[in-house]
Amino acid sequence: MAKQVGADRLGDFYKEGSKVRKRREWRGLADTMYDYSRWLKIMMTLGKFVMKPRNVKAMFRYRWMANYLAVPMMVDRHTQGLRGEYLRICHEEQDLVIDDVAKLLDSLFRGDRRIGNDKKFSDKVVLVDENEMTAVMMGFPTLKCLSRETPSTYVSVLLNQYAACHYIDVAQEFGLAGDVCPMPEAEAGVSIDDDAPVLGACAIQCNTTCDGSLLGNGVISQRLEHEDGIPVFQLAAPLRHREDDVQEYAAQEIRNAIAFIEKHTGVKWDWDAYFECAKRVNYATECRQEWLEMNRTPYPQVFGSNLALYTETNYMAICGRVAAFEKADRKITKLARQAYAKKKMAAKEYRHRAIIWGVQSHYYMDFLVWLLNCWGIVPLTDMLSMVSTRKLVTEDTPKNREQAIYDMAWLTENMIMRNRTHGGYKVLLDELWEFVEMFNADMVILWEHMSCKALDGMHGLFEEKAREKGIHLVWVTHDLFDPRIISRQGVRDQINSYMRTVFNEEPIDPSLEVLPDDKSW
Amino acid sequence: MKDLKHLIYFENLLLEANNELVQRAQADGKICVAYTCENTPEPLLNLEGAFSARLRAPRTGSLDISTYYMTSFLCEYSRALLERAIEGGYNFADCIITPDGCSMMNRCIENMELLKTMGQGKDKFFFEYMEIPMKADDNGLNLYVLQCRNHILTPLHEKYGIDISDAAIRKAVAEHNEICELIRAIGDYRKEANPRITGYEFNVITLATYVAPKYLIKDKLKETLEELKTRESDEHSKFRARVLVVGSEVDDTDFVKLIEESGAFVCADRFCYGSLPGRNPIVLNDDEDALTQICRAYMNKGECPRFMNTDKMDHRRIYVDELAKEYKADGIIYEQMKFCDPWAYEKMMGSHILNEKYGYPVLTVDRPYSIGSSGQMQTRVQAFVESIEIKNIQRGKANG
Amino acid sequence: MTTFLHILKTIVIVIAALFALTFTVYIFNLDMKLTAAIEPWLLKHYDKIDRDQHL
Repeated sequence: MAKQVGADRLGDFYKEGSKVRKRREWRGLADTMYDYSRWLKIMMTLGKFVMKPRNVKAMFRYRWMANYLAVPMMVDRHTQGLRGEYLRICHEEQDLVIDDVAKLLDSLFRGDRRIGNDKKFSDKVVLVDENEMTAVMMGFPTLKCLSRETPSTYVSVLLNQYAACHYIDVAQEFGLAGDVCPMPEAEAGVSIDDDAPVLGACAIQCNTTCDGSLLGNGVISQRLEHEDGIPVFQLAAPLRHREDDVQEYAAQEIRNAIAFIEKHTGVKWDWDAYFECAKRVNYATECRQEWLEMNRTPYPQVFGSNLALYTETNYMAICGRVAAFEKADRKITKLARQAYAKKKMAAKEYRHRAIIWGVQSHYYMDFLVWLLNCWGIVPLTDMLSMVSTRKLVTEDTPKNREQAIYDMAWLTENMIMRNRTHGGYKVLLDELWEFVEMFNADMVILWEHMSCKALDGMHGLFEEKAREKGIHLVWVTHDLFDPRIISRQGVRDQINSYMRTVFNEEPIDPSLEVLPDDKSW
Repeated sequence: MKDLKHLIYFENLLLEANNELVQRAQADGKICVAYTCENTPEPLLNLEGAFSARLRAPRTGSLDISTYYMTSFLCEYSRALLERAIEGGYNFADCIITPDGCSMMNRCIENMELLKTMGQGKDKFFFEYMEIPMKADDNGLNLYVLQCRNHILTPLHEKYGIDISDAAIRKAVAEHNEICELIRAIGDYRKEANPRITGYEFNVITLATYVAPKYLIKDKLKETLEELKTRESDEHSKFRARVLVVGSEVDDTDFVKLIEESGAFVCADRFCYGSLPGRNPIVLNDDEDALTQICRAYMNKGECPRFMNTDKMDHRRIYVDELAKEYKADGIIYEQMKFCDPWAYEKMMGSHILNEKYGYPVLTVDRPYSIGSSGQMQTRVQAFVESIEIKNIQRGKANG
Repeated sequence: MTTFLHILKTIVIVIAALFALTFTVYIFNLDMKLTAAIEPWLLKHYDKIDRDQHL
């Protein structure tokens, strides 16, 4: 119970067999009051949400809604041990994401034929994938771009580690092999289990990160198109996205997608809105670059799972379409500059500087906070945050309108994760070592998502290159959405044993080395 | 039935990737273009002065090294190819051209390149990766044409001086079609009630056309077709049911053999390396350049699950239904190589839809790259055959 | 004036009571403990719903 960073034994907050922790942290008066005020704000957001009868109805209809009982705990997991600016940066990010998801849920249930059944509203909805770049919606400000998979599977697993297990089992009961990536598998399971809201004028699917994701969409569109009568456009972004000779194809896909949306919603593309969004995208890029620039120094400020989650939301799901994120970018940058000027640290000791690579475990997204608190490993940046930094054109001219199509295509090709899992070994293997050098890292924590074939396929070459360059490479194997395969402790043990046997180090906070969180949300 | 005269010859061609005919063609001064994915337009690899060889890893044993490089979660086909490449088994090839058909094959070839497993002593050797469309539409066609030009024709011309003119392409298509028509004609005998060719024999012959230079195998195919015209089937067929095999890459003839030894005649082969639709002739007109027409044909005929637009997805199941009717299948076996993501999904979808919507008995199986003589698989196929028989008996009773 | 002070006092007491209550909930994680108790009941409810499971 202290104001100082690292004064608490954070493992003592866990209770064997419990879903939740014993109590919240006392972080000194100012920080505790701040955290309390943000907790109150979250409670108000949730309170406002449940005030609407349709949302309560949805709570009793959709199994995945039970996971939203754990919203405040998700924030607590990510704020573990944080003080001062770090705590505020984390809240800025997390609270905005929560607010955005609450609005997404409310919109989904408003249009859902089973719940709100607001037909007029539904006719303005364009469904998109969970893992899809929403660049193609930047010029449709009057339409609602909603993802059903984001709240049903993606966010659910962040809230409750076991959230996807039911849907994974449903898909496997229908004959889907157990070795495919559990993310599209769970999304397919939601569709098979008849547990997805039904709404929308049309849907835009995309060949996002992997073969599994592509094929999982096929399961979803089967029901969407043939049963619910919602037309689907499959946006095929090129896989070899760094090649010049695929860009015209990519651009034409964007033109076709826009024409499809216009046809099915009756709404025309709005260039003013597009360029407004493009400015915001550029601003977000500038901020992200500034944060990453700080992370190259001994005093990183915006890093870890917060950086990953926020980038994923802001870069991909928001893509300049929501002004509130620009405000958050500004606040976060201000806080980061303040902390950087004061040479502040998020933990009492920084021992190692690590690049986090690969596809991170979704059921243990706060693992990066654990790395920092337990072993003093600073997660400088991660694969999901190393996305496009190309500036978009923002002035409305005939030439720029054409360029804008290519910009949207580029963003779509370079959506999070996809920009590394597709595009050849250069973007996955070679660029990792460039980042290691750029960030002056001495370690690579390599998430090995066991069912991610694109990652697994480079396993040996990652090891060989790390040996050649003298970089410590620690494999952390997991199964993305399914903690029954490798538990959170199983994830931690892989680091624990490396740190003890190879580095011969003792943890900074020994209470965190083994945690009784097997049953925890 | 009397043994087919050239069956052992064809079987022998399948024993090594660098088989007798590959060696003979190279001795003739032709270059060997290796490839791995059915979405690579074959005629473009068989222009005058070049011939294609689709890579296999026959008699695969341990996969230890490739499993180290790619983990045990990648499909055994991709691992077996890498293992064989590391062993130096593909050094005969003069180049390799591969689309990013699936992630696993892409990683397999990238490992081959980074580990410098191919092209030893061949100065002109090259790796080419190409983007291929995931939807069948005009935009996809434009991409296909451009990619074939940039990643097949241009490098073949620049490195090896291959003639890539429209006339040369048309000539290659004509030769390709000749093989396709021969295979089709041979395969048509499978439609007979008591067929004069087994699924295994046909599988061996078809596979040989993928791994051997076409101009050297043509005569044997013609002779086989002639022989079949007068070949008499056994009076009493040993088969108790006719099945259509649908699924992922199969280049192991033991798989079809095992199914047939379990009592099911493989009447049609809708799998990667099979003849349907792999051996569809390409019909060219004179109004449009040959390259565009080839790409269109490949794009339209493609039944690979990587095609993601709804029409294509639906067509995959419609096509299976059409084949089942045409070849009079009693049941369908959906097979999937273990760890193949695209077919994991397609197998689930197809097996449900073909059963629930079209009413076929369907068996789904996972299989390794080399099946050998798996007792487990035999039991499953036998049980499937029995279930078809029981259904037929019940149907007979119901119909009086 | 007395009435005003009385109202002010009441407001302060209410705010203080609300603060004490919510802060107790916050610091002892009572909100999460409550929702953790609700979850099993909800899951049983979902199991009872008839679902049109198909592709």
